[in-house]
Amino acid sequence: MATVSPPRLDTATRLYQCIITLIHSATVFDQLDPRSPTPLYAQIANRLRVAIAAGELQPTAALPSVRQLATKLRVNPATVVQAYRDLEAEGFVEMRQGAGTFVREVPPQTRARERASQAAALVRKLLAEAGRLGVSLQELQAAIAEEIGVGTS
Amino acid sequence: MNGAIEIQQLYYRAGKTFEIKNLDLHVARGSIYGFLGPNGSGKTTTIRLVLGLLRPLAGRVTVLGRDILREAPRVLEHVGYVPEQPHLDPTLTVRETLRFQAAFYTTWDWPCAEQLIRQFELDERGTFGHLSKGQKGKVMTLLALAQRPELLVLDEPTDGLDPVVRRQMLSALLDYVSQRQATVFISSHLVHELERICDWIGVMDRGRLVIELPMERFKNGIKRLRVAGAPPSIASPPFALLAREHQNGALETWIVREWEPEMAEYFETIGASLHDVIDLDLEEGFVELLRTFRRPRS
Repeated sequence: MATVSPPRLDTATRLYQCIITLIHSATVFDQLDPRSPTPLYAQIANRLRVAIAAGELQPTAALPSVRQLATKLRVNPATVVQAYRDLEAEGFVEMRQGAGTFVREVPPQTRARERASQAAALVRKLLAEAGRLGVSLQELQAAIAEEIGVGTS
Repeated sequence: MNGAIEIQQLYYRAGKTFEIKNLDLHVARGSIYGFLGPNGSGKTTTIRLVLGLLRPLAGRVTVLGRDILREAPRVLEHVGYVPEQPHLDPTLTVRETLRFQAAFYTTWDWPCAEQLIRQFELDERGTFGHLSKGQKGKVMTLLALAQRPELLVLDEPTDGLDPVVRRQMLSALLDYVSQRQATVFISSHLVHELERICDWIGVMDRGRLVIELPMERFKNGIKRLRVAGAPPSIASPPFALLAREHQNGALETWIVREWEPEMAEYFETIGASLHDVIDLDLEEGFVELLRTFRRPRS
């Protein structure tokens, strides 16, 4: 996988980029749920993975520093570090000592795979919820066809 | 023995009814440890024992690697403490309070103090006694952070404060922790707040430590199960069964600890069926744990 080194930036540009990322992260992290059994680090990593897969976060974009994000989301700094480490291990970001964390160039097939796995997770959640409500598979399929039909016609 | 706080076999007694017994507690360096428990469970007493403000009748308390009773002054220089009740002179102004406090700490950081005064929007000419509850809380937090401690001990620092002030205080705390890798030992009744920031949880009840676990293990281990057709008595389940309740319908509710998804298979072996596994958040888990801890074992 080709690594794109973050370009050398002057302080003003870097600051600007940071602000943009922070404004962005305000929406990226809207739905964090500390009460969920999914650990917060996994939720944070997942939000960023989605944003990268969707192309909302572009390659070489700087993620907020651990300190900025921990303070902003009011979570343990270790939680942010863990999220960034997981994303790094998966090849989505690159952590550079002293410089920060940057989005890497992700091949289109990886991004497509990520979107597919998000879609599968959505369906699993839907099925579990339907089961709890006693909605049958046919009813569910009918509802999906109806919704998609309405949306695309 | 390398933790920020190590308590071993501690025994303490106050009056005839209240005692802390066989207390073992370990706070790892760099962790944010949430200390939970109902009112009167012994949290504040434990905190005072940790700080050497009370003397245990037996046992040992080590803070930052040193025996607290023998080396209290040297240890406390590196410990920031926010007590439940402010203990500051009400006639001093905020500025005078800061100057007074700064004199005790060689590590005192004036730029940090100045920055927090601005960040907290404090009027440094106001006398401490006339400040609002929220402003008092901010001054206490400021004092604890500006001494640049390795360990922060916070006794219900944000309880009873409005959400805006709570957020400001927590953000300042987390900002400090990200910079310094300090350890935080925090007690609170605001369980959802702890759920966000803590990586370890300790629960006290009636002078005993009921449980001490990493947050994720605590949260993922406690479940509410919906079960049908289980025999009245079951032999050695793979999880810890805390409670079993019959309701009107055919389904029973089980509260279990140390749950793993693979354990679903167990129900077939006893001829029962598992209908649902319901996740509990920290607060529900805490309530269920105490409810079952208090019930006399049959």
